[in-house]
Amino acid sequence: MICERNGLMRIKVDNLSFGYDYRTVLKNISFSIESGDFLVIVGNNGSGKSTLIKCLLGLNKVPDKRIFLDDIELHDYRQWINIGYVPQRFDDFNYEFPITVNEILTVSKLSKVDEDEKLSLLDRMGILELQNDNINNLSGGQLQRVFITRALMNNPRLLILDEPTAGVDAGNIESFYRMVNDLNSDGVTIILISHDLKNAKANFTHIMHLDDGRAEISNICDIDFGGES
Amino acid sequence: MDTFFIYTSFIRALIEREFMQYALVTGVLIGFLAPLIGSFVVIKRLSMIADTLSHFTLAGLAIGLFFINILRLPLGDPLYLGMIFAVIGALLVEVLRSYYKNYKEISMPMVISLGTALSALFISLSGGFTSSVFNYLFGSILTVSRQFVFINIAATIVIVSLVIAFYKQLVIISFDETYARLLGIKVGIFQFFTTIALGMVIALAIETVGVLLVSSLMIIPVAAAMKVGRSFKNTLFIAIVFSETSVIMGLWLSFVFRIPSGATIVLFNITILIMVVILKKLFKHQLIKKKQADEAAS
Repeated sequence: MICERNGLMRIKVDNLSFGYDYRTVLKNISFSIESGDFLVIVGNNGSGKSTLIKCLLGLNKVPDKRIFLDDIELHDYRQWINIGYVPQRFDDFNYEFPITVNEILTVSKLSKVDEDEKLSLLDRMGILELQNDNINNLSGGQLQRVFITRALMNNPRLLILDEPTAGVDAGNIESFYRMVNDLNSDGVTIILISHDLKNAKANFTHIMHLDDGRAEISNICDIDFGGES
Repeated sequence: MDTFFIYTSFIRALIEREFMQYALVTGVLIGFLAPLIGSFVVIKRLSMIADTLSHFTLAGLAIGLFFINILRLPLGDPLYLGMIFAVIGALLVEVLRSYYKNYKEISMPMVISLGTALSALFISLSGGFTSSVFNYLFGSILTVSRQFVFINIAATIVIVSLVIAFYKQLVIISFDETYARLLGIKVGIFQFFTTIALGMVIALAIETVGVLLVSSLMIIPVAAAMKVGRSFKNTLFIAIVFSETSVIMGLWLSFVFRIPSGATIVLFNITILIMVVILKKLFKHQLIKKKQADEAAS
């Protein structure tokens, strides 16, 4: 199934440290994940989860030769279209000016939009009936699904989800994880930030514990969940 | 009968008088461009930029007047220097916004101050408040030249073509700059050209409504359309309809009552905004009452 998306999505982080002003948030972090892996990042508030994601996305300025995407140094990487990102909060998005779900999705794909593909994605995400709704009339959960759909519009090979189920009701959380697991089965590499590992009903392959900026990554086969996972 | 006469005399003036035709064409073009660019400005919450650039453009116009009237330099129309200043002002705002990353809004008062100070200095040096200065402050659409109409047509063609060609990029940058960067869009380059286009529109709109009223032409129709628009394109369309209505009605009313056209256009714009707000409240109130009645009946 990976070949359908035509390629790999490999991430390598080598001894990354990062901070804001005088505060060091990430300390000597090193890890690598392969194409098709499913990494869950857990940690307390302020442990550096979102900061690490922003580094991977090039939104934070990191030193040279610390992050490699598909073996390409982060600053030389140009295929950002292969990465879908759903932020924890949508503060950057102006959802007070009128714009419909359909319009957001259409402009989010820079190449020509295949209408059938878009409709089937909307259907899969359970928001087909919302396509002509104005974004400022949607609930938090609906908005969340719109932004996940937006991240999927360009058929990403890596999907990064930052606390995606915050503010989503229990029923929708289950269907959300079903959808994420399906995407991962299709070959999409997933990085998921979660507060609560027990409720993250995801088929992850790796777990990263971030504590005070230091990371410890384990392969799922090496972990004893005591029957909780 | 009187109204009929006044109406027909306006139409006759449009047919017979060249200056009226130029005024109408200029007004309609600016009436289209101002809310088109204004919409992207409003989404980015940069409404103050129109005022900032118009004040900076005035500095260019004042320096132009000084060069032409006092130094006798053959520069043609001061408006050309005004246009250059609009673009310089726009770039200055961008530079200051990137310098004061966490206090981006302070870039605008800085540029306004510089523009106003330069204007005051050069207006004084070039002979004080002459009729030219008054026209720049409040607009003089009835005095636009044939050459200015052609500049307007060219600018409209270029700006509309760019908006159509880069529609997706412009919308995504305006609504969500971070996501635009993730899509690999060169946000800085787009912002640079958008700001230049904005400066050009402001410089051209000054001829229609003047420095002091130019921002209203860009912002008020969009503010009214936001209240009733159902989608982005629909809001854009409504804003342009409101703006064009204001331009045409403003021109007609100013002709009938012999009052300043720029001020009349802006006042008509504000009247539309007030009507939209009142009507929307009324309809919303009626809708709630109907819903409550339906619920009580069931």
